Amino acid sequence: MSSEPQLFFTDVNERQALFLRRTVIFGGATLAGVGLLVGRLAQLQLFQTQQYATLSTRNQFNFRMVPPPRGLIKDRHGVTIAGNRPSFRVLVVRDETKDLDQTLDLLGRLLPDTLERRRTIIREVNAAPRFSPVPIKSDLTWEEFSKVNLHAADLPGVMADMNEARYYPYGGAYAHVVGYVAKVSDNDVKAMRERGEEIPSILYNPGYRIGRQGVEKALDEPLRGEAGGNRVEVDVRGRVVAEDTAGSKPAVQGSEVVLTLDNDVQQRALEVFGEEAGSIVVMDVRNGDILAMVSSPSFDPNLFVSGVPTRIYRALADYERRPLTDKALAGTFAPGSTFKPVVGLAAMKRGLDPSRRIVCNGSFYLGRRFACLGRHGALDLRGAIKASCNVYFMTLATEMGPDAIAETSRDMGFGQTFDIGISGQKAGLVPDREWKRRTYSGEQKTWFPGETPSYGIGQGALTVNALQLAVYTSRIANGRKAVKPRLIKSIGGVEQTSSAFEDLPFEPQMLQVLRDGMEAVTAAGGTGFRNSQLGLGTVKMAGKTGTAQARNYGAGSRKGAGRPWAEKDHNLFVAYAPTDNPRYAVSVIVQHGGLGGGTAGAPRAREVMKVALLKDPEMRARIEQAGFEAPEDAGAREAEARGEPIDSPVIDAAAPPPLVEPGQ
Amino acid sequence: MTSSALTRPGERERLSVKLAQLDWRVIGLLTFLAGVGTLMLYSLGKLSWEPWAAKHLIRYGFLLVALICMAMIHPKWWFRSAYPLYGVLLIMVALVDFTPLGYTAGGAKNWLNLGVIRIQPAEFMKIGLVLALARWYHSHSAQEARWSWKLLIPAGMIGVPFLLVAAQPDLGSAMIIGLTGAAMMVIAGLSWRVIGAAVAAAVAFIPPFVLFVMHDYQRNRVLNFLNPEMDPSGTGYNIIQSKIAVGSGGLLGKGFGLGSQSQLEFLPERHTDFIFSTVGEEFGFIGSFTVLVCYAILILIALRISNLSHSHFGRIAAAGMIAFFALFVLINGAMVMGLAPVVGVPMPLLSYGGSSMMTVMIGFGLIMSVHVHRYAELSKGNGLI
Repeated sequence: MSSEPQLFFTDVNERQALFLRRTVIFGGATLAGVGLLVGRLAQLQLFQTQQYATLSTRNQFNFRMVPPPRGLIKDRHGVTIAGNRPSFRVLVVRDETKDLDQTLDLLGRLLPDTLERRRTIIREVNAAPRFSPVPIKSDLTWEEFSKVNLHAADLPGVMADMNEARYYPYGGAYAHVVGYVAKVSDNDVKAMRERGEEIPSILYNPGYRIGRQGVEKALDEPLRGEAGGNRVEVDVRGRVVAEDTAGSKPAVQGSEVVLTLDNDVQQRALEVFGEEAGSIVVMDVRNGDILAMVSSPSFDPNLFVSGVPTRIYRALADYERRPLTDKALAGTFAPGSTFKPVVGLAAMKRGLDPSRRIVCNGSFYLGRRFACLGRHGALDLRGAIKASCNVYFMTLATEMGPDAIAETSRDMGFGQTFDIGISGQKAGLVPDREWKRRTYSGEQKTWFPGETPSYGIGQGALTVNALQLAVYTSRIANGRKAVKPRLIKSIGGVEQTSSAFEDLPFEPQMLQVLRDGMEAVTAAGGTGFRNSQLGLGTVKMAGKTGTAQARNYGAGSRKGAGRPWAEKDHNLFVAYAPTDNPRYAVSVIVQHGGLGGGTAGAPRAREVMKVALLKDPEMRARIEQAGFEAPEDAGAREAEARGEPIDSPVIDAAAPPPLVEPGQ
Repeated sequence: MTSSALTRPGERERLSVKLAQLDWRVIGLLTFLAGVGTLMLYSLGKLSWEPWAAKHLIRYGFLLVALICMAMIHPKWWFRSAYPLYGVLLIMVALVDFTPLGYTAGGAKNWLNLGVIRIQPAEFMKIGLVLALARWYHSHSAQEARWSWKLLIPAGMIGVPFLLVAAQPDLGSAMIIGLTGAAMMVIAGLSWRVIGAAVAAAVAFIPPFVLFVMHDYQRNRVLNFLNPEMDPSGTGYNIIQSKIAVGSGGLLGKGFGLGSQSQLEFLPERHTDFIFSTVGEEFGFIGSFTVLVCYAILILIALRISNLSHSHFGRIAAAGMIAFFALFVLINGAMVMGLAPVVGVPMPLLSYGGSSMMTVMIGFGLIMSVHVHRYAELSKGNGLI
């Protein structure tokens, strides 16, 4: 190119032409760029819009789970024994707090006890999902609740709300049978997964509680209800902007469960125990309805709802009277003398004439001497039950052998569990030859004749629980049917009926003999006379006392007075009433209690039975009609003559020696 | 009208004549786009003039007056001030980089603290560069513009501020400076062979640059652009939420003030860099398409204006401003729709923010000045002033 002059006119034109060409290309490139953007717009907004609309909705709306109110549990008369109560609580949302530590510091000033649990709180808050509120304290007082609300502006991420908490208005009375609810643990989830159950997402809701024992556990699913949901519009920080009522689903309360229990009977049954340990079961002998089932000592199930403090839990777990164990179902004991009617029944089934007399001279010999605690002389079956004569029943047992006793035991309800809808029953043990063969090896495989006499008086390997004793008593009292217990009356209004009872494989008159014997026990001169007087006029109670050895005694008193608690004998009592037309059966086991005979079990059975009878409208009418005065009773007069008030409470170490020799 | 070249001397210098020469199509489109921006900011402010919409509109009003005033200025003054302005701005950029007067905000040290006022020299550097390059090309031949050793001078004029701004590190501004400069060199007539070689070199150079030179946050932006689902709640969040906003708008949009992504703040930076997503969400394909078409028409009209200028300075300066404007539109549009990495480039006239609007309006002031004075001849322009 020429260099002089620098810019020719042609060059100016060339430069302009070049620029024009380039601007055309540039314009084209811009249009291409805008075209690309329009294409992308079309792709996003016209072809993929559905997909992005879904994502947008997912951003915009959030489903807040609404926990369902748990189903109520009521007694047979409609008294709520497990309900829900409003509870104020404080929650923390991690991502809304500016600084968790600082927030907890401030909160600690309002609620000092959160400081103690600070580490736990921080752990729980950090474990929760980003925007999910974590309850850090429940059951606030109204003052605490208002304080937190007042300072809400200074406490970002902290909110106070109201939810429903499980509430057991009768405290310990139902701690074992109804159980309690507690926080869902990882183990619960794992167990459900192993059972192949679908895990409802409501379980992960921090306020949710799962049934842990008794009815609450067994019927957890129907009680649970159906979680509702609130469709809410949230902003990017998860704060609720608006509620979408059309998209919300209300929570459905869990089914109402009605039990066969009677609140008054149940409460009285716990009351009569005082400090003593043991269990009471009350049953309707006609249909098997359990009116009361109590294990003592008990505990307050309300403690477990919000998380029981470790200190209290340890105290409960370590107490030697074992409040956490359900003794009515899982406590198995030797029945002692309460078992003697079974032996008599087994013998009658094998042809024993109940009027046959066996002479008791205080001892029974089979390889060694087995003591009877009296010289009863010649007794028939009725008299032997009344006097609780060891020699008589040892004689019958040795004549029959263990297998005959075992068979009748099972017919009467021992050695088995019943389907009452809750778990935790122990079957106990009804020993026989087969059992020994199965369980032992070597020489121990055979049944030794020396084991049979103890079997005859309800000792040895034999163990039973309070429910079985109640079933057994009901069957004697019923006289015809093999009554089975029922605890769950209805679930969600649907009556829970058990199949029709089978007939007992005994002649009715055999059971009549047993009833006669048991009536004699509570009549003047019987082992349970003094503490079995109901004072309800003609309505009287029949029963059988029992004392079970808690350990092997060396030389020394078997009465247990002055011994450490854990070494004393167990005291048992089974009874039914009224004697003329049996309605209710009761079984009482007092662990390491009383002084033998009818000292600990009988008075408790009497008190509970009184409530059961007075609550029965038919019984009440009859009693009111006949008056509360006891009819003429020679025995009672005799007792009064010796200065013993019939109704005196007997759980008293200084009480005069019992009427009969204890040890039965 | 005095649109002919054959008018009486001095006639074209009369203010009323000049005012009549303003291109009202351009002003109309600018006002329409600024109006859309105001509308969106009103919607984003929860249907309120506060905190953005009123300021945006007032700012536009002032700048429109400024634009008209600038349009009245004869290009010779732009021409004469080109090199001094470039020099002063370069010194200011260097001051930000190398002296304590530099002020850090938002991860990059790109503010100059002059005691009474704080400015971002990089914003104005773009205008200074356009003017300086236009002046350089004005005094050089087509042959020199195609390919000669003298091209080292414009290359250096682009390269020095590019490196200084990139070091701040304000990658968005540096990229705009580099690309605007490159676009001007291409429009001025750079040989296609050189362009091809430069593109090839750039393609070879980018991956190592991304891997070894970029800061972590910059690299993350690039990697997230390539795969936004990699970290949906972290750095990929912006792109994902923006695509959701645009995509969920559909054909007709969710309606004014009803964009859930924008209103509930799922969309980040929704009043500045991502405002076009809000347009897409609330007004749908129809709305965002209309806005894009307006930008395209504006660019084409401006290109036409540049070609009508009698001076090469006017042509190149106007083209530079257009290139600069078009780059903003295309890069921002690509970014909000997930076609480009997230770089801090606003959508001109829509995005809230004073300096970006000021730069754009100054640019159009220059274009308008070129249009009004399209018959003006300029001296050969040797020397600095």
